[in-house]
Amino acid sequence: MGKHHDVAVVGVGLSKHVSKRRDVNMPELVWEAVSACYEDAGLKPKDVDAFATGNMPAFEGVNLPEEWGAGHWGAYGKPVLRITTGGTTGGSVAHGGYYLVASGLYDTVMAIAFEKQSDGNQTFGLNTVALADAAAQFKMGVDPGFIAAFGGGAVGVAVYQASSYMKSSGCTTHHLDMVSALCRNNAALNPYSHLKQPGLTPEQVAETTLLQYPIRFGHVCPSTDGACAMLFTTPEKAKKLTDKPAYVLSVSSCSDEAALVGIAGSGTTNVDPCEQESCKIAAARAYELAGIKDPRNEFDLAEPYAPFAHQMLMFYERLLLCDEGEAPSILDSGSMNLDGELPVCPSGGVISTNAIGASAMERIAECAVQIMGKGGERQVNKEVHKAVAHGWGGAVNLNVVAVLADTPRG
Amino acid sequence: MEYKEVTTSIDGAWNFSKWEWKFESIALIGRTFEAMKEHKLLGNKCPDCGTVYFLPKPFCRCLGMPDEFVEVKDTGTITTYTVTGAWGYEGITEEEGAQGEPLIFAGVQFDGADTKVVCVVEDVEPEKVGVGMRVKLKWPDKLEGAITDLSRCTPL
Ligand SMILES: [Zn+2]
Repeated sequence: MGKHHDVAVVGVGLSKHVSKRRDVNMPELVWEAVSACYEDAGLKPKDVDAFATGNMPAFEGVNLPEEWGAGHWGAYGKPVLRITTGGTTGGSVAHGGYYLVASGLYDTVMAIAFEKQSDGNQTFGLNTVALADAAAQFKMGVDPGFIAAFGGGAVGVAVYQASSYMKSSGCTTHHLDMVSALCRNNAALNPYSHLKQPGLTPEQVAETTLLQYPIRFGHVCPSTDGACAMLFTTPEKAKKLTDKPAYVLSVSSCSDEAALVGIAGSGTTNVDPCEQESCKIAAARAYELAGIKDPRNEFDLAEPYAPFAHQMLMFYERLLLCDEGEAPSILDSGSMNLDGELPVCPSGGVISTNAIGASAMERIAECAVQIMGKGGERQVNKEVHKAVAHGWGGAVNLNVVAVLADTPRG
Repeated sequence: MEYKEVTTSIDGAWNFSKWEWKFESIALIGRTFEAMKEHKLLGNKCPDCGTVYFLPKPFCRCLGMPDEFVEVKDTGTITTYTVTGAWGYEGITEEEGAQGEPLIFAGVQFDGADTKVVCVVEDVEPEKVGVGMRVKLKWPDKLEGAITDLSRCTPL
């Protein structure tokens, strides 16, 4: 299918992820992931033909990060492609790295995504993203307290999305508590995760502060400083570097109306925030490109992008891994656990670690790590042949999907 | 020259109420606010797919251009909702005791419309609210010609 080349993943690198890295500046933080990635692949900067990079614009309070970082990445004198798409940035950057190799234009490409949130002011950063919508709301007479009260940004979307999803799926607040417990326990086994809460129970999550119904403090991602790097290359080169590379079979993204409730700069939206039609379209296209005929049975692992607890279940459904409304009972069955039939978020997920610009790449990186069998304590209890990674972002209207496997399309 | 062992954090704020952009939707919604003075709720309808937007919108998800104003009812259904918790209406605060009364915000789809607007639902306990609940717009005594005219509902 198609004339593009197969693409292998030969290296993954992650920095330490915590809420505030005051001891390093942004390029130094990114270098931790980049150097780990070089080491993982056994490659040096001279071996890399091009770079793709991105972070969430303005969240660090500086722009043009590739000007700051190119030297630290070994990118001087090389093509650098910068891609930023909001919460999906890391996914889009990895897609960019994939395209550079799949096109046949470059053999070996490093993709780098990061966020050093503690360097900037996130409210300011979000303003730069939501400015047009907020300005439109002011124009129509919405007062600032009103906007503040329903959260604004992704939280404001998430609460409505959660309520609506819970009604349509039968997902209960106990399921939200279960998702948080599952993810944070997985995160405890991941040396690169941020919030490690070994032994956390759903009951303990249920006792955390209610931010806005139905979302509690325990259902929300932290704000993280962190970086992720991946090395993509041709299958021929990959075979010389490692016995067990991972392969990217396909990538796909799809944009839709912003899933906001109420007024926005472009007028009221039509969609229900939990529909996420664009995720279903992106998934179906990615599966078709990858030759996946039966997504419910062919995948061994899923890394949906879920900064809020309900999203792990909602996106599991929107990634066509089960019927709509079926995910809560699949969670109940234990199938999503680390030792389950189709483990979900073995990394601990975005709900445990959210260096925003890096997060969607870390979903893809985790799939590659698990396929390569390098998951350490969090390695799932089965051979991972095929895995699906997802990202959600843009202006809460973009979904990105990648399919990875242990063998190329052939 | 001083060498810093720790890196810096940049603070910032933009007063976005000052920005002057051209929003097509505002021209359309302005017409809705005008019509509210006659106790009418005006949305607009896409000629291609029939979707009725309330509030009105300049373009449709199907890429059609809604070109006909149509009236929607002042009764509707809650499609989603939230209840403010630790973050009170009086500003964002996590301090216990500083929070205001819990407020119920809901996505309300008025009868005859296919889209939702956010309203505060009053006269009901948060525990009694749910998706599917029927509500009615509380018409203000004095219309402001702004979204605040459309911001309060009561159970039907
Ligand atoms: Zn239409």
